[in-house]
Amino acid sequence: MSIIKWARLKSPWLIHFNTGGCNGCDIEFVAAITPRYDVERFGILLKGSPRHADILGVTGPITVQVAKRVLRVYKQMPDPKFVVAIGTCAISGGPFKDSYSVYGGVDSIIPVDVYIPGCPPKPEAIINGIAKLFEKIGGGNGGSNKKN
Amino acid sequence: MLGELINLLIFPGFLFLITISFIYEWIDRKFFARIQGRYGPLYTGPSGVLQPFADFLKLLSKEDITPAACERTIFSITPIVYTAIPLIMLSVIPLNGRAIISFEGDIIFLMFLSAMVTLSVFLAGWSSANNFSRVGSVRAALQMLSYEIPLGLSMIGPAIVVGSLSLSKIVEWQIEHSAWFLWLQPIGFAVMLISLIAELERIPFDIPEAETEIVAGWMTEYGGRKLALLRLGKNLELLMASMLISSIYLGGGVQIYFLPPLVVLLIKSVIILLIMSLIRGIFARFRIDQVTSGMWSYLLPLMIFQIMLIQFGVD
Repeated sequence: MSIIKWARLKSPWLIHFNTGGCNGCDIEFVAAITPRYDVERFGILLKGSPRHADILGVTGPITVQVAKRVLRVYKQMPDPKFVVAIGTCAISGGPFKDSYSVYGGVDSIIPVDVYIPGCPPKPEAIINGIAKLFEKIGGGNGGSNKKN
Repeated sequence: MLGELINLLIFPGFLFLITISFIYEWIDRKFFARIQGRYGPLYTGPSGVLQPFADFLKLLSKEDITPAACERTIFSITPIVYTAIPLIMLSVIPLNGRAIISFEGDIIFLMFLSAMVTLSVFLAGWSSANNFSRVGSVRAALQMLSYEIPLGLSMIGPAIVVGSLSLSKIVEWQIEHSAWFLWLQPIGFAVMLISLIAELERIPFDIPEAETEIVAGWMTEYGGRKLALLRLGKNLELLMASMLISSIYLGGGVQIYFLPPLVVLLIKSVIILLIMSLIRGIFARFRIDQVTSGMWSYLLPLMIFQIMLIQFGVD
């Protein structure tokens, strides 16, 4: 493993974006960065500015109004960047799927690396999803691939 | 010649100071986490000691974005200036018994450079062409107006007693008289600590980069290797502040039995760092008007009172 890849794995910084969800996933997301779970152990920090962040955590369905803004936030992030879709709405649009004002999941606008299902997903599930993302960054030699 | 170059670049010069500044950031984050009942960085190296290195390397390897609307030259130069100035300030401090640069009046030089740090912060925020950055930079400038004068006076207090404006002379005086200025001028020490926390933009004075109000303040538009340099500059500034206060008020680098002066200085500055981390952990953020009026109506009169005490010979 090169030293750059090591640094990338050890220091993922998150930015959180709600695209019009019900705030359930947001509460769980915020719970995942509280002292109880303490994700700073893995070097994860929550950042306010997209310029500082590596991972965009999106909660909620992509509404027509917010689509442009999500795209802009995504474009503001410096490469290499990753997107995590948190919750059923962010995966497929959830109960709002065929609504007149909703495009659907996050992948209808920007490429998504990891999907975390649940309505809302538990903080443990969110941390597990980010761990899956680490495996993807690290070249896929993590726990889940060893079984196959 | 070669010896001086090694002194300047490797030990106890730039390379050593940059490494130590990363370790200081780790101590700060770890202690801050322990106050909050967390572990802090844990899995990056032994108990997370390599975390700041990993952050730095990752930021260096990221894409370097310069926003289209910003003032290109100033935007690109300010991170370099912001990293370079604390390094120059560190070379004035007597690290290993003697300073790399030392001359009569280097305290004035230090004050000038500490104002330059804030000026570069202001330019960085102003040139980013972002509303949050501009608000942050104006707040940084306003905050400088409040802490700059108490900070200057608190550095002048010991200089009056010693009768010299050289930092090395102040340290020598404390060694000769085996007395710390902390015990001679306790008010000055408190004022200097508070002013330095304000200069470092740490909680409770992190108003220029208040995350909950203005995204990341003056740093909002910086990403990639520019942000890496800014973070390195912040770490170096933290190292410089803790070493400066332990040189002026805690006796600086002294040979104690077998301990070399550098180790003693490091121990003293780590104690200062822990005090700063404790303050970071137990306080909330002030508003900018509270800082300005508080500094002018409490810190400045206290410091003037301290200078009067020195003049009347109470020390």
